[in-house]
Amino acid sequence: MLQAINEALHGEMARDERVVVLGEDVGHVGGVFRATEGLFEKFGAARVVDTPLAEGVIVGSAVGLAMAGLVPVAEIQFLGFSYQAMHQIAGQVARLRYRSQGRFEPAITIRAPFGGGVRTPEMHSDSLEGQLANIPGLKVVTPATAADAKGLLAAAVRDPDPVMFLEPLRGYRGIRGDVPDGDHVVPLGAARTARQGDDLVIIAWSYQVELACRVADSLAEEGLSVAVLDLRSLVPLDIEAIAAAVDRCGRVVVVEEASQTGGFAGEVVATIVEECFWSLEAPVVRVSGFDVPYPVGMLEDTFVPDEARIAAAVRRTLETA
Amino acid sequence: MAHVFRLPDIGEGLDEAEIVEWFVAVGDVVVRDQALVEVLTDKASSELPSPVAGTVMSLGAAEGVRLRVGEVLIEIDDGSTTPEARPAEAPASASGPVTASPGTPAFRPKAAPATRRLALQSGVDLATVNGTGPGGRITADDVRNAGTPLAAPPPEPSAGRMPTPVDAGSSTPSTLGQMPTGRHALRGLRGVVARNMVQAWTEIPHIHTMDELDASLLVDFRTRIRSMDRPGAAQVTPLAIAAVAAARALRRFPMVNGHVEGHPGDAIVIPESVNLGIAMATERGLVVPVVHDADVLDLFAMADRIASLAAAARTGDLTTADLAGATFTITNYGSLGGRFATPIIPPGQGAILGLGAVAERPVAVDGEVLARPTLPVVLGADHRLIDGDLAEAFRRAVVDDLTEPLHLLVGG
Amino acid sequence: MVEARTQAGRLWNLQRQGQVGTLAPIDGHEAVVAATAHALDPEHDWILPQYREPLALQRFGPEVLEQYMLYNIGHPDGSRLPPSVRVAPLQISLATQIPHAVGLAWGMTLQDEPGVVTVFFGDGSSSEGDFHEAANLAGVLKAPVILLCVNNQWAISTPLHQQTAAETLADRAIGYGMPGVRVDGNDAAAMFDAVDEARQRALDGGGPTLIEAVVYRLGAHTTADDPTRYVPAEDLEAARRDDPIQRLTDHLTDLGRWDDEARSEVETVAMARIDEAFERAINQTLAPDAVLDHCFATDTTRMARQRAALLDGAR
Repeated sequence: MLQAINEALHGEMARDERVVVLGEDVGHVGGVFRATEGLFEKFGAARVVDTPLAEGVIVGSAVGLAMAGLVPVAEIQFLGFSYQAMHQIAGQVARLRYRSQGRFEPAITIRAPFGGGVRTPEMHSDSLEGQLANIPGLKVVTPATAADAKGLLAAAVRDPDPVMFLEPLRGYRGIRGDVPDGDHVVPLGAARTARQGDDLVIIAWSYQVELACRVADSLAEEGLSVAVLDLRSLVPLDIEAIAAAVDRCGRVVVVEEASQTGGFAGEVVATIVEECFWSLEAPVVRVSGFDVPYPVGMLEDTFVPDEARIAAAVRRTLETA
Repeated sequence: MAHVFRLPDIGEGLDEAEIVEWFVAVGDVVVRDQALVEVLTDKASSELPSPVAGTVMSLGAAEGVRLRVGEVLIEIDDGSTTPEARPAEAPASASGPVTASPGTPAFRPKAAPATRRLALQSGVDLATVNGTGPGGRITADDVRNAGTPLAAPPPEPSAGRMPTPVDAGSSTPSTLGQMPTGRHALRGLRGVVARNMVQAWTEIPHIHTMDELDASLLVDFRTRIRSMDRPGAAQVTPLAIAAVAAARALRRFPMVNGHVEGHPGDAIVIPESVNLGIAMATERGLVVPVVHDADVLDLFAMADRIASLAAAARTGDLTTADLAGATFTITNYGSLGGRFATPIIPPGQGAILGLGAVAERPVAVDGEVLARPTLPVVLGADHRLIDGDLAEAFRRAVVDDLTEPLHLLVGG
Repeated sequence: MVEARTQAGRLWNLQRQGQVGTLAPIDGHEAVVAATAHALDPEHDWILPQYREPLALQRFGPEVLEQYMLYNIGHPDGSRLPPSVRVAPLQISLATQIPHAVGLAWGMTLQDEPGVVTVFFGDGSSSEGDFHEAANLAGVLKAPVILLCVNNQWAISTPLHQQTAAETLADRAIGYGMPGVRVDGNDAAAMFDAVDEARQRALDGGGPTLIEAVVYRLGAHTTADDPTRYVPAEDLEAARRDDPIQRLTDHLTDLGRWDDEARSEVETVAMARIDEAFERAINQTLAPDAVLDHCFATDTTRMARQRAALLDGAR
């Protein structure tokens, strides 16, 4: 997936000279994960900027760049550090269009990796997508495949609204797949059916889609028909795709890595109740992280939903009379 | 014209202020922005300037008094004809994005949403279904196997919940008469049936008058109609013909269309309309949809209406209105076989007409015993309202029309 | 300056009459803001205000007053300025506009657009992290930005000596690698010179300047504040004697370029203009679904449904 992200950045910078990449270590080193590799050499110091260590001004100056008519793509090294910039993200980026009544177009993309399973130090894996989704004016996008990483990032950069582009840390090297060459754009707000099925649908995003697919495949060997819906965008949410999947299957499991209370899975469940209540054969089940801060390494595997937990929830839901 | 200056919220969420000192008195001439009064709030002491020029008409409160935000501070005659100046107000807010939450009734049978929809479409009241799922939950199969749905609309307890009088509890052939040995709590469908039967049987003193008519002409009549090249002809059944006959008889004898209220009885109600409840057997059980204003329908219209209701009953599309308002019921118990029966009158009605099976039986004609098709007919009647002579007369009227269907064409 | 003060007085009264929302009076800041506006080029230069400045920024266009009145009555149009006016929307979240200013200036240089960005903020804001991060970045990027700190001695009730231990706010510039200039903000001419010089430096590629304009807050922090509770009366008295409008009045009168009649005329015109602007503002229409406008470029599915429901309710 990492190369797909890199390809997308190269593509967008070549396509639109207004695109400026900024963040910590994004220039000379090409990013701590090499996501921005080669950009500095190709497009120069004016457009690929190693900023001082200050998330607040990375995001705040991106607002100013957007006001100047440029298209900034800012990187926050780990999503957990976006707290340092939250006042600019929630209060300024998300509201630039609103506060100026459309005078300024906030074509800002903020990229950040998140998610666990790789034994990072504190604050490096936190899943904040639910909190971000509750900020009006902010789009939240989470690719689950390499091809989508390229296509969705291209769409995000071209979008006139601000986009939080959340990349799965575990997926950088862990998710592989075919990526179309050249210009490849996947529209925001359209979910993807990752697996077809009739008995139950697992709704997931980011790395959890990969796990959900593995669970669906293994259950298929037992004759169980389990679908997987990859949301791709949390905001804007593809309500119709969710409704269609649930109407078809009648049973749902929603998976997220974030802590359960207030997590985005709750929004998905509320949407299902509003849209497809009469199709439900069983209660909707959430598989989430526990309501505790993201834990230390030894406890990480307990916290993060894995295939076993997902499969257990699927079985339980299928067996509900 | 008075400009009414009400105490504004000058401090972000204050709700009252104390009048410290008035700078003007009634009758004073003031200019715009002239200091009128000093008020004291939790946050600050402030002078309030006049919004208009004019003459002071009245002061809203004396010094030392606490005024609430929105109360009148001062009235000034500004000589204009416009009403008091409004502060810029936000437009009335429509309700925000809210999903309605219906109230929950006291007793809720447990069933998944999909099962509920199935029950809704089948016209099955979940309260009458025995749940075989975990914790007594009602499953989709339970709904499909459910016996008698309601004859009358569920939300009206006074209308009575009368499933078919005779055919209550029709079950699939494999389960007919089956129950494990032992003692079972009488609840669910059987419980509802039991309660309804007891109500009808104890509150309505039934008399039944029966007869068997020579159905030769009826059968011939029907055969000839069905062979007509006319749309709707195929729908004309003996039931439809009987319905027309019954409607005519009810118009002739309005008391039979009526019913008694209360137990043992407070009032007799004679309704304006003739609404025939037609008991029908469907896959899902028995339903009794209603042909409203049956007396104005001619034979083809009646047959068409009954056919439409039957179709809707089969697909589970009967509405509450379709099931409501019957003043008289016809039950074709003969469809199960059977010659004579004692149908039970649905509470809220005064009589019921039962039709047995048309079959070849011995009939005496001019001293000879011949095999003729005959139709057994029974009228059940509420003896509080209908005595033997009326019951007899009514039944005979119906029998006459069925014996010679041409009567339906000539009236009388 | 006179216009600003006159109109500010009227606005204060409007607030006390319940006709506009919370306001921050400009009293004492007129010279700082007006002189700055005159030292800049409205065609190319940008101003990012905080919230106290608009009445003295009218050189950048009559729309500034129009929009300010709409803003004060709470109408969403108050946040919109036509593309020809280079004044950003008011910022309530302190110091957040400073990184924006740096980004904007930086963006202009990347596109070879001539012009400088001037951002207003107060002594209190200079304590916020955003100020420091932005100043630091401005220095590194050599962004053509003027960081204009209006030190009016008070952050609501916090006096300067409790706000910082630094001798002067201008000294902070050293830490960020840019010149720091301390100016008497009540001297309109000195203000003009300081901004002009900083502007020239920026246009010549010399990078940012931190200007500390020293004034005194002659009015309340906002209409919700009662300064008599914490501002020593003698200090306020002394500050009043240094009133920027009075100083310029005296100076121009001595030069024979100003008199009471001239003042009266300015005041009359100013009052008429604000009355007209207020009248227009309160008659501005508001669509029933305006609440949903300008969040995204296009509505999401859910927003479209919310909008339809709103319009339905309005019918």
